Amino acid sequence: MHEFSITSRIVNCVLEEAKKHNARRVNEVHLVVGKLTFLGLEQVRFAYEMLVKNTILEDSKLHIEEKDGAVKCDRCGYAGDLRYEDDPVYHVPSPTLVCPKCEGAVNIVGGKECTIKRLKLVA
Amino acid sequence: MKEVVKAEEGEVFDIELEADLLKANKELAEENRELLRKHGVAAIDIMGSIGAGKTSLIEKLVQLLKEKYRIAVFKGDLTTTIDAELIARHSVEVVPINTGKECHLDANLVRKALQEIDLNNLDLLFIENVGNLICPAEFPLGSEKRAVVISVTEGPYMVVKHPFIFIDADVVVINKADLAQAMKVDAKKLGTDVERINPNSKVAVTNCRSGEGVRKVVEALGL
Repeated sequence: MHEFSITSRIVNCVLEEAKKHNARRVNEVHLVVGKLTFLGLEQVRFAYEMLVKNTILEDSKLHIEEKDGAVKCDRCGYAGDLRYEDDPVYHVPSPTLVCPKCEGAVNIVGGKECTIKRLKLVA
Repeated sequence: MKEVVKAEEGEVFDIELEADLLKANKELAEENRELLRKHGVAAIDIMGSIGAGKTSLIEKLVQLLKEKYRIAVFKGDLTTTIDAELIARHSVEVVPINTGKECHLDANLVRKALQEIDLNNLDLLFIENVGNLICPAEFPLGSEKRAVVISVTEGPYMVVKHPFIFIDADVVVINKADLAQAMKVDAKKLGTDVERINPNSKVAVTNCRSGEGVRKVVEALGL
């Protein structure tokens, strides 16, 4: 949804970090994106390609690790991934807050993150 | 002191960091939440589709609750104060928020609006988000509860097509029940779609023109 603005924040954040280390180039950027964010990875990659042009990030490799959502059930203690409805009508599996184990209601505890985890810079 | 350690030309640094790119809004939302909590104000984010009846719902809620609570309303829209004026007719404080181009409210805009009202003189705050079933879910504002309003005139698939916003909803309002028959849409089915996606949420079917069902929304919001 807001891939362009978020990706532009990613690029600025990397540029700042590179400056701190007097880096001449950035080789790799590692992102972690939770599946419960609204970020489309294809759009992030596209925006990244546009935004790194004529910067020291040009030609850098963007690695994106997609992180599963995480929920907890107060009733049965289940902790783990969400239950998705994969009715073919939806085409994209639809997340639900129904406990995969006891069918109770779960709470979201993870999967909404979008972080830069690691960089490889060249001095 | 020892010599400064410097990288050789061409040396590769491998840097670990935990830069959270959605953090700016999350932190501001936490500040808003804390500020509201300190003043004992319950804030409710009213999200929903365009034209679903968010403003009509707020008007009816204000009418029902204004004797019981001191109420203020933030009214988010891209432009105009048309809806804000509708709510202001009910003699409650209204702060219009015009986002200009943005398709959702964010914690920063809410923080600015909070500076416009006297929190010491307030119990309940409704924050009407920009009409949109996608983006607002990603931007917490610092509210205590989140409600989503849809209506039967949008067709029978509004819930299954937008699962993410319903996952974030404490209360879901299905409005324009009086038009269900004409639209050949089953409001109850929309409700079961919500329960299937988010069993934590409470569903109320309403007609916000007549006020039918609005008391159920009050109950669901715990007011």
